[in-house]
Amino acid sequence: MRGLFAVVMLDLKRLWVDRVRLVSSLIQPLLYLFVLGSGLGASSTLGGKGYLHYIYPGVLALSLLFSAVFAAMLIVFDRQIGFLKAVLVAPVSRLAIALGKILSGALQALVPATVLLILLPLLGMDLSLPAFAALIGAMLLAAITFSALGVATAAGFRSTTVFPIISNAVLLPMFFLSGALYPLSRAPAWLRVLAHMDPVAYAVDLMRGAILGRTAYPPALSIAVLTAFIVVLTWLATRVFAAGEDT
Amino acid sequence: MTDASVTPALQAVGLHKRYGAVHALRGIDLLVRRGEMFALLGPNGAGKTTLFSVFATLLKPSEGEARVLGFDAVRDRVEVRKRMGIVFQEPALEGKLSVRDNLYLMGLFYGLSSRAAKARSVELLGTLGLDEVARRETQKLSGGQKRRVELARALVATPELLFLDEATLGLDVEARRQFWSQVRRYVAAGGTVFLTTHYMDEAEPADRIALIDQGRIIALGTPQELKSRVGGGVLLLATDDDATAAAWLREHGHRPEISERGVLLVEAEAATVLPALLASLPVRTRRAEIHEPSLEDVFLTLTGRGLDGASAEPAPSGAQGEP
Repeated sequence: MRGLFAVVMLDLKRLWVDRVRLVSSLIQPLLYLFVLGSGLGASSTLGGKGYLHYIYPGVLALSLLFSAVFAAMLIVFDRQIGFLKAVLVAPVSRLAIALGKILSGALQALVPATVLLILLPLLGMDLSLPAFAALIGAMLLAAITFSALGVATAAGFRSTTVFPIISNAVLLPMFFLSGALYPLSRAPAWLRVLAHMDPVAYAVDLMRGAILGRTAYPPALSIAVLTAFIVVLTWLATRVFAAGEDT
Repeated sequence: MTDASVTPALQAVGLHKRYGAVHALRGIDLLVRRGEMFALLGPNGAGKTTLFSVFATLLKPSEGEARVLGFDAVRDRVEVRKRMGIVFQEPALEGKLSVRDNLYLMGLFYGLSSRAAKARSVELLGTLGLDEVARRETQKLSGGQKRRVELARALVATPELLFLDEATLGLDVEARRQFWSQVRRYVAAGGTVFLTTHYMDEAEPADRIALIDQGRIIALGTPQELKSRVGGGVLLLATDDDATAAAWLREHGHRPEISERGVLLVEAEAATVLPALLASLPVRTRRAEIHEPSLEDVFLTLTGRGLDGASAEPAPSGAQGEP
């Protein structure tokens, strides 16, 4: 437990002293929202606010996904400069390191997402208290899933130049498949099959359900799928951290 | 667990490490006692860092057994880690955090409570003379200060055993002196140190030294014991044509080694032989020196090579260690 606390504390202190990263992470979601909202909104049949409300959970997911994976990239950076060695040689279980990294990545991803939450009333979205609570819950689950995805991938990487290329090649399709920006109802069947395997789709659907009250999947199924992803990815990250010392 | 005073600090039995076709450790047997400052001296690529990493629980041996403070370095990894501190060749500090925060966070990693970690960092900053820089961003410190913070980081959990891997690579003389005087204080207080280096002057203050070459330990003993192996004095002759001089010496029953500084000869009675040699050598001698054998000479006599691989010149300070 102390090991997990140490991993999280280390990362949060590092985020706090890195003002450039902190401030840019606060600005980034606004950019997503206004560029996507006004750009895509103009060409959408839903029109104006309707489309903004539709993509709002998508923008939340985009912000969470990319911030979480960016946080995970610091693991690769730490490995490259040698700092990770000092962490890995500490008497902390590999599970605590994996969980700590996933938790700290999720918290780091929630910072910019909070900015979007504050904007909710300004965008004309009036959520009831239960709906708001459901949204928070969905965001937490989404943040942990995306962070686990990032950590499990980053744990094995040695190069900070290769990791972004690989992660973008995986993340962007996952994001576009998720129905975050447009409904997939008119997409070809094979694409919809792929979307069923995309954790981002379940996260977006869960968050959208909290805001609009309609979901494509039953919320219980989404929660189960995301939880399963978290468990498997945590196990994977633990294995990769443990394997790193047996070369 | 057996009695702490009897259990050796480190013990290797028939240790081998292979990386694919590379045979990095070729049967290491070694015993390091508690309270000892032990140096592993050898050129880059000799297997120093590999052996070091096996003991420090960072690498699994392919064959054989490594025990640290009585614990198996592979199976009881966590027990070993609780009791050891380590300074790596590469920096292992977060440059953007203050010195104090770096130490505090490492304390948490070693299971100290938040309060204990704070108290311990304050104490260490005091003993290591780092009080003034406690609040400074770590990346803004000088090279020597950074290394002392690394040492403080390694000592945060009051380890029984300290591992130092080429710990003062690239530091100037004064910074190195300060660093090693701190290490000696730790040994004087009862700690055990296991260090690797390819500088002979870093190995010199160690209680015992193991010379390692091509994955094998080729000599082991106190610095005095090792030097006495050379048997006599070392003669260095810088001539106009070292190759011709060496060939001539070989014809006349000597065993010369050519180094960058000149021809090296080990002679039981160096001072007596020198005048006759100078008179009869077929080439002009520009400079002749007689000195007590150094660890470098020991290595050269045993392997025919210098500590930095090919020549006997000390390595430049910016030289890189093996990966």
